[in-house]
Amino acid sequence: MFGYMVRRVLQMAVVLFGLTLLLFVLLKTMPGDPARIMAGLGATPESIEVLRHRLGLYDPLYVQYWRLISGLVNGQLQAMTYHKPVWTVIMERLPATVELGVAAVILALFVSIPAGLLSAIYRNSPLDYVVTTAALMGISIPVFWFALMLMMVFGVILHVLPVSGRGETLFGWSFLTVDGLRHLIIPSVALSSVLMALNARLTRASMLEVMRQEYIDTARAKGLRERVVLIKHAFRNALAPVVTNIGLQVGAIFAGAVLTETTTAWPGIGRLIYDSILRRDQSVVFGLALFMGACYMISYLVVDLLYAYIDPRITYD
Amino acid sequence: MTKNNDRNAVVRDCLLSLLLPGLGHIVRGWWRKGLLFWLFLAAMGGTLYLAVLRGRLAWLAGPSEYWFSTTMLFLFFAILWLWAFFDLRRSIRASDEKSFVQGYWQIVSRRFSKDPKGLVGLGIIAIVCYVAIFAPFFAHGNALKMDLVNFLAPPSAQHPLGLDNFGRDVLDRIIFGTRVALGIGGVATLLNMFFGGFLGLIGGYFRGVPDAVIMRILEIVNSIPFLVLVLLIVSLWGAGITTLIVVLGIFGLQPARIIRSEVLSVREEDYILAARAVGAPTLRIILRHVLPNAIASLLVVTTMTIGVNIIVVAGLSFLGFGVRPPMPSWGAMLQEAQEFMRSAWWMAVYPGLCIIITVFGFNILGDSLRDVLDPRLK
Repeated sequence: MFGYMVRRVLQMAVVLFGLTLLLFVLLKTMPGDPARIMAGLGATPESIEVLRHRLGLYDPLYVQYWRLISGLVNGQLQAMTYHKPVWTVIMERLPATVELGVAAVILALFVSIPAGLLSAIYRNSPLDYVVTTAALMGISIPVFWFALMLMMVFGVILHVLPVSGRGETLFGWSFLTVDGLRHLIIPSVALSSVLMALNARLTRASMLEVMRQEYIDTARAKGLRERVVLIKHAFRNALAPVVTNIGLQVGAIFAGAVLTETTTAWPGIGRLIYDSILRRDQSVVFGLALFMGACYMISYLVVDLLYAYIDPRITYD
Repeated sequence: MTKNNDRNAVVRDCLLSLLLPGLGHIVRGWWRKGLLFWLFLAAMGGTLYLAVLRGRLAWLAGPSEYWFSTTMLFLFFAILWLWAFFDLRRSIRASDEKSFVQGYWQIVSRRFSKDPKGLVGLGIIAIVCYVAIFAPFFAHGNALKMDLVNFLAPPSAQHPLGLDNFGRDVLDRIIFGTRVALGIGGVATLLNMFFGGFLGLIGGYFRGVPDAVIMRILEIVNSIPFLVLVLLIVSLWGAGITTLIVVLGIFGLQPARIIRSEVLSVREEDYILAARAVGAPTLRIILRHVLPNAIASLLVVTTMTIGVNIIVVAGLSFLGFGVRPPMPSWGAMLQEAQEFMRSAWWMAVYPGLCIIITVFGFNILGDSLRDVLDPRLK
């Protein structure tokens, strides 16, 4: 187990390094002069030239790469358009996305697990068809359109929910205030639509797989009540892959967050990366893309280890 | 030889089929097939009628967009006639021989024709493709014509889905948008399958070092959310259809994983061992033995990937990094609609519904194919 962990962490380091290289190459091919953007509109050619030297745009590429990485690691890298260190900018925006993502995941699990469970138990019944069709529909709905529809119906027509923004916050969290909570509803429901669909399908498939196992037959043969068989024997085993899979959906959450946050003006890191791409703020884009990549990799690793923890039959090595 | 299959009867039915596709089938009592041919015939006749009515049937003259549709229409007619004829001949011959052996694809097609999910998906996709090919015949005007007096007019008899902020007909833009969605989604998916299939085959078949390298590359590309990566690259290289197709095509490496795992299991089969023992060259083994046996999952992945690509293109266009504004794409229409959310709901609702229906068609078809193609479920 320990050897496996070491190997995985080393692999992760290689991938992370590759990711920094990929991003660096991409950013260096970005058209537009970052110095000119930083200097602003009325800058003279001389001041732009000075800024170019100060930013080190004339240094060899590997020096620039090293500066970017070490700046990120020790937290000194400055955002170009925010006049703050990149980490500060990201950390300011992170809570908004975290609460959006967590709310969406919780919502998705509350809907999708019962739905998937029921549709697996009543397989090939009308209920099953409704759930599977709805789930397929869910992965076909673009999140941003769903957010737009929710905004139109509940914000513009019915006037029951605020259309956009984050509302009041307490200690940087908006779910702690009533106003903030109301603002949270539309984006999190929109974001959770995809997760609901994915998890409902997953729950159903996992439940069906478990119900094929022989220990279910054994449990029935023992004369246990059907409900006990389904809940205690089948459902508990079927739940493990579903719960661990949430870790693998971090990528989908980030991608969905970019679209939902842009649509509903939710000031999280999804909106931040979109804004930074628009403003050509290379350091924020670099830092944030790396951050998202690292989050994804770490959750992937955690999922793998969690599997072994939950299911003692799995051993690595 | 039965009475029904003597030479005269066969010639008569084939001639009937040439007269009107499907007639021969119906005379022989194959109602379902014959009516299906008539349905196609009616749909295409309607399209021809629309084209003539609107004066858009262009042959070597007129705008180039009419050309393509006109040529395709006549091509479709030709295909329908020939198909009906040859299908009838084949069916007659098949009814003569008594064959009890069924190939894999025969089983698959029979199972598919009994699966409502797959048929619904196929139907949706067929309709969307049909609309895309004959877009100029179905649209009232064209997607760019502006009516600056009546801009933001709500749905009416003349404009069933209303007008947008430039007074352009929403229905027309949706109709032309099918071309953009299917074109980009389709071509990008072809590239996906080519690159992904290549990497998956190499990694899965050779394992070892090439596999490790390919897997690390996949992990690097997959670690950033696909939308963010594509957004980043498109913002660097500039938006546009070509860029979109290339970026989606190259970086959409999701299929590689699935193909790799499929190849990993296929290569352990005995027939691969046998082929290797006979001394078949590696390339031949990969192309003749591994690939055809992985084709089922390739098909499923392709269908699903088209749906994913359509959604990603819509998302990018919605963010302003996809298809450029004057061109009618569903995502870009939604972006414009966002501004007029309070006054013009029709601008937002209909393009979104079209995305959902189209992507749903691909997803449900992929879902059904996965069930149908599974060789274990005989």
